[in-house]
Amino acid sequence: MPRPLRPARDELAEATSHGVLYLRRLRRAQLSLSLLAVTAFGGLLGALPLALYLLPGLSRIDLLGVPLALWLVCVPLFPLFVGLAIAYERRAEALERAFRALVGPDDDAEP
Amino acid sequence: MIAIAAVAAVTIGAIGLGVYGVRFARTTSDLFVASRAVTPWFNAAAISGEYLSAASFLGIAGLEMKLGASALWLPIGFTAGYLALLLFVAAPLRRLGSYTIPDFAEARLGARRLRLLAAVLVLAIGGLYLVPQLKGAGLTLREVTGAPYWVGIAVVGLVVALNVALGGMRGITYVQAFQYWVKTFAIVLPACVLLIVLGGLPERAALFGRELPVAPQGGARIVLEQRTPVVFPRAATVRVDGVVVSAGPGARRTLPRGELVVAAGTTLPVGEGIRAQTGARWSRPVAPGGGTASPLFVYSLLIATFLGTMGLPHILARFYTSPDGTAARRTTVRVLGLLGLFYLFPVVYGLLGRVLVPALYVTGQTDSVVLALPEAAWPGLGGELLGALVAAGAVAAFMSTASGLLVSIAGTTSFDLWPGYGVGARLVRFRLAAVAGMAVPAGVALFARHVDISVLVGWAFALAASTFCPLLLLGIWWTRLTAAGAAAGMATGALTATAAIVTGLAGGNGGSALGEGPVDALLAQPAAVTVPLAFAAMFVVSRWTRPPRETDAAMLALHLPDGLGASAMR
Repeated sequence: MPRPLRPARDELAEATSHGVLYLRRLRRAQLSLSLLAVTAFGGLLGALPLALYLLPGLSRIDLLGVPLALWLVCVPLFPLFVGLAIAYERRAEALERAFRALVGPDDDAEP
Repeated sequence: MIAIAAVAAVTIGAIGLGVYGVRFARTTSDLFVASRAVTPWFNAAAISGEYLSAASFLGIAGLEMKLGASALWLPIGFTAGYLALLLFVAAPLRRLGSYTIPDFAEARLGARRLRLLAAVLVLAIGGLYLVPQLKGAGLTLREVTGAPYWVGIAVVGLVVALNVALGGMRGITYVQAFQYWVKTFAIVLPACVLLIVLGGLPERAALFGRELPVAPQGGARIVLEQRTPVVFPRAATVRVDGVVVSAGPGARRTLPRGELVVAAGTTLPVGEGIRAQTGARWSRPVAPGGGTASPLFVYSLLIATFLGTMGLPHILARFYTSPDGTAARRTTVRVLGLLGLFYLFPVVYGLLGRVLVPALYVTGQTDSVVLALPEAAWPGLGGELLGALVAAGAVAAFMSTASGLLVSIAGTTSFDLWPGYGVGARLVRFRLAAVAGMAVPAGVALFARHVDISVLVGWAFALAASTFCPLLLLGIWWTRLTAAGAAAGMATGALTATAAIVTGLAGGNGGSALGEGPVDALLAQPAAVTVPLAFAAMFVVSRWTRPPRETDAAMLALHLPDGLGASAMR
């Protein structure tokens, strides 16, 4: 069930323009962060097929008896995903903390 | 016998937990309250458990064996999809409180008709994704018991439909989390044990060198259940039930039913739709030329899986067990870790399968390589036990995914498309929808026997990426989106993706028997073209129309950090 939107809307109408402005700024900051992360990720992942295509020699180098190209596809991307996800998560939560401090400086209920 | 027992145990366990789940759901007044106690790790295991389907458990290794290392982009895309979900969707959507895409469409854009369009697409994508799960069921039960292909589909279809119709699969986070570990154990342990037993990868020449698949030591004895058209990549002489068949290089023959005997070291004939590849070519993830290793196909597949995951109907529903947006984000990070762990291992089965069960190249049933490998690699009790373990893992895979999909399909049908009034009427319709929602894909699965599991899944992802991905991304992050724009974008994406796939099929693209040109690659995996088209249509039409009244309120609900009421905005 979608949360009833009417009350939130009424409250928004009463909200000062400051809160709205700050929220818009937060949304844009979050979007920039996500776009930065997806660019970094897209660059790395997108480069791999191209590198393997342009450097067929990677299939001839053996590591533990298995071609390097195969290693590159099977293993390193998965830890990379996790690393990127953790870095993103930290930044996104920091942005939200900053927003909380901004809209409610006297509200210290947040950890 | 051990394998039959293992499969029976998993099936009965699913029914039992389903019945138990009904009681659990009744005694817990509010599932949300219960789920607040669920930690992100547990929740992540549940999400991964529902996500790892027959396509992951059986399909990746099967497609790898058939096509080569180009199939290994699939697990990367399957995992990367959760990164897209994390970066753009998980936290805001959890805050809005919409757990199905039709819900989101109406809450964000306030248009009832858009909800209906989204609901129809949920049925299409869910159905398309359900077919390969049932195909996996048919293959597994045939491999384990020797029963005909349709028996597995009927049994599993019936069990899952009953379970869902009786309401047993709702909110059973613990069952799904358990299923994740069953599947991971069942793929990791046999892979490691077989590599140790074999002392590493055997026959490197066949894997990475110049050799085509050949009959292993002692020769190959392959039972052909039907007349089988094959191609001989090299000159060979084989016997079928004692009748000698000789063929020159490149010759096509139709082998009669019976037992095919191929002497050790002889190059095997390959079934229709399979290209015999040398090890060097087979083991290249990207290669010049056409087919599934062409860069165009690889990129299109990565786009489809990266952007399509968020649009699968059973995925978003699982996020409701997270208490808030922050927890949803933390859960997704852990899902990436758990999926990464699982996806390190299917590749082993494809590699070993090429050498140890090359008979599958003749019959074309490469999708069953995971099931067939343990006993072929390690004859005796050990192989039999490992075989039972992978069979149990496969059952867990298609049971959990099929249940999640069917809940979405039945829920969408009975709430959005065919709403009943009153709890009784709703429940009856939900149950009818569950039965019908299983019957149709089961019928399709009977005929889709020769289409690879992962190819069918690729189409579901293409459709999801071309419709729901633009709706979610623009809906969450762009204030100017309008209902008309969203409808135009989704319609454009759905029509172009479907048209491409149907055209490709009509032109004989079995998915794996892919033509050489760039057009063939895009017909088989159209996401690289259809996703930008859908985004463009959604953007352009939105600029021409007025955003709905709901926009500000929805944006507030989506992006206000947890723990702050709207009152904090003063």
